Amino acid sequence: MLEAEDLHKRYGDTIALRGVALRVRPGEMFGFVGANGAGKTTTMRIVMGVLGPDSGEVRWRGEPVTAAARRGFGYMPEERGLYQKMRVAEQIAYFGRLHGMTAAEAKSATGALMERLGLTERAGDPVEALSLGNQQRVQLAVALVHDPTLLVLDEPFSGLDPIAVDALAEVLAERCRAGVPVIFSSHQLDLVERLCDSVGIIAAGRMVAAGPVEEVRAAEGRRSLRVVVRDPAPGWADGLPGEVTADGDGRQVLRTTEGDDQAILAAASRAGRVEHFGWEQPTLTEIFREAVA
Amino acid sequence: MNSTIANALLVARREISVRARTRGFLVGLALSALLVAALPVIPKLFGGPDSYAVGLVGARSAALEPAARALAPGEQITLTFTRLPDERAAHAAITAGDLDAAVVDDGRLLADGDPPQELGALLQGAHRAVQTEQRLRAAGLDPARVTEAMRVPPLTEVSVSTAGGDSGVRAGVAMLLVLTLFFLLISAVTQVAMGVVEEKGSRIVELLLTSIRPGELLGGKILGLGALGLLNLVVVIAAGLGSALATGLAGDLPDGMTGIVLGALAWFLLGYAFFSALAAALGSLVSRQEEVSSVLTPMTTLLTAAYLVAFYAVTEPAGTLARVLSLVPPFSSMVMPVRTAAADVPVWEVGVAALLMLLAVAVVLTAGARIYRSAVLRTGARLRLRDVLPAAR
Repeated sequence: MLEAEDLHKRYGDTIALRGVALRVRPGEMFGFVGANGAGKTTTMRIVMGVLGPDSGEVRWRGEPVTAAARRGFGYMPEERGLYQKMRVAEQIAYFGRLHGMTAAEAKSATGALMERLGLTERAGDPVEALSLGNQQRVQLAVALVHDPTLLVLDEPFSGLDPIAVDALAEVLAERCRAGVPVIFSSHQLDLVERLCDSVGIIAAGRMVAAGPVEEVRAAEGRRSLRVVVRDPAPGWADGLPGEVTADGDGRQVLRTTEGDDQAILAAASRAGRVEHFGWEQPTLTEIFREAVA
Repeated sequence: MNSTIANALLVARREISVRARTRGFLVGLALSALLVAALPVIPKLFGGPDSYAVGLVGARSAALEPAARALAPGEQITLTFTRLPDERAAHAAITAGDLDAAVVDDGRLLADGDPPQELGALLQGAHRAVQTEQRLRAAGLDPARVTEAMRVPPLTEVSVSTAGGDSGVRAGVAMLLVLTLFFLLISAVTQVAMGVVEEKGSRIVELLLTSIRPGELLGGKILGLGALGLLNLVVVIAAGLGSALATGLAGDLPDGMTGIVLGALAWFLLGYAFFSALAAALGSLVSRQEEVSSVLTPMTTLLTAAYLVAFYAVTEPAGTLARVLSLVPPFSSMVMPVRTAAADVPVWEVGVAALLMLLAVAVVLTAGARIYRSAVLRTGARLRLRDVLPAAR
């Protein structure tokens, strides 16, 4: 399990993190969402040891992270970086060796991974000769070659077409099933909602919501009541809480997070035909908008 | 094995295998070896040949052969003699270029224009010796005593110069050393800076530093590129010495040549360690290859200054400037090997210079690694040392 506790980081006058905490269990996929500059990359860099926190601590399997433990982690930084002139297979194997594999281990892992990612035919080409999509695959291979104990990926889905998104999602899910905790950041909230077991929403250096996706969505005060009434009498909702919008087709929609739902239902029935009535959980997008606002 | 060393070696191996495959490295290696190998040949091209074909016409001139052969080794020339039936044949052979000169019985030396100077002098000397001996015998002196008297030992040559007897050759060797050290140092050191910027600019350094420490990455890079620089130096020296042996110039090389070569290698390593640490620290301040040469200016200026002083030391190896700066780091890394090649230097001076240089290398490596560590992840605009040093403390 990976745990971060009360991380603080400041760059000069800018405060990047104000007490970020997160927890990712073995086999759990954790989606990290937040606006640009909210602190996602800084948090991931601290987890990977590229940056040191001003205060706070990162623990791996209950112990403060050591350099040796970190060598087992796999990382895809936000700014992609590869040796442009180095050949694909040599590059992947080199990173395997930097992560402590023997030459033979690195070679066989590289072969298997290139096969899995469809890079085998490009093994001898320099990275600069590859398309952007293939370079992205090499970048992923570099993060995966040593069979990491933890995966930290900064915006791994950005710039991928839908098919490549599915392929990457499958590779990550595979690692999760093998018991590896996976953290990735993304702006694509629908993707996070679809793939992740838990989610962390960060805004201005603070974790505003974190936990299993269902729990975050169901959290107290976030549910909203949605009532759709057809051809209601004008002014039917006067005195009821929430906002009313018209959908232009004779329907009116009332949304509220408070009030007596039974009283609202009774008022709606009196006003017209109730087509929909129910408590709904917000989507991650809604929670995110609310958090960032 | 210690993991720090293992990691640095891993990085060094990558540097070597990637760089050694580039066309730039291979062409540079071949070109520098060829250039140095060509140098001992140049004096021959301008100095004319050192082997001559001489024709002899008539029985009396045949007596010249043993005398001329006896003198030839002292002048470092080889002679081949051909007997010719008459003067006409000698004419024809000289005109055809088969002979350089011919001696005809009645005491005439034939050549195409003036005979080559050293050949002419040698044949005249041989002729004089033969004639003198014959005339003394004709005057009735005891042939045995004549032979005895004719055996005069040559003057023993003694140099009073501090540079030793072979000052010209030593200066040549020293000059060659200055040029080689300067170009190899500046190219190897620039490679280090460019490598640092490549990793910083492509952000790959962020990935690298999750599995190895900055010191291991920098150390490995310096080690790998240094090994290639050393290889280049060894190839250049081997090419020069090989060519000197092949052309017969090796006999002129100064006595302590082995020491000079080993010293040059050691000083190259010290100079490389100093300047590469400086280059890495400066290189880590920028993120784009275009900025490398401008950020390296302080280092290249220092290296060029050392080069100029070393150049001056070739001509004045015992001058005060050369003596003082051959002790002061980093000048010593180029001036001292040149001084030792050009003249004899007291051992204590070499020792002091080496010790000071080692200290300077230790300081620069520590400070350079510190600057590198704090600057290498800060991509974007060029950093100033001021931005980096407080954070490094």
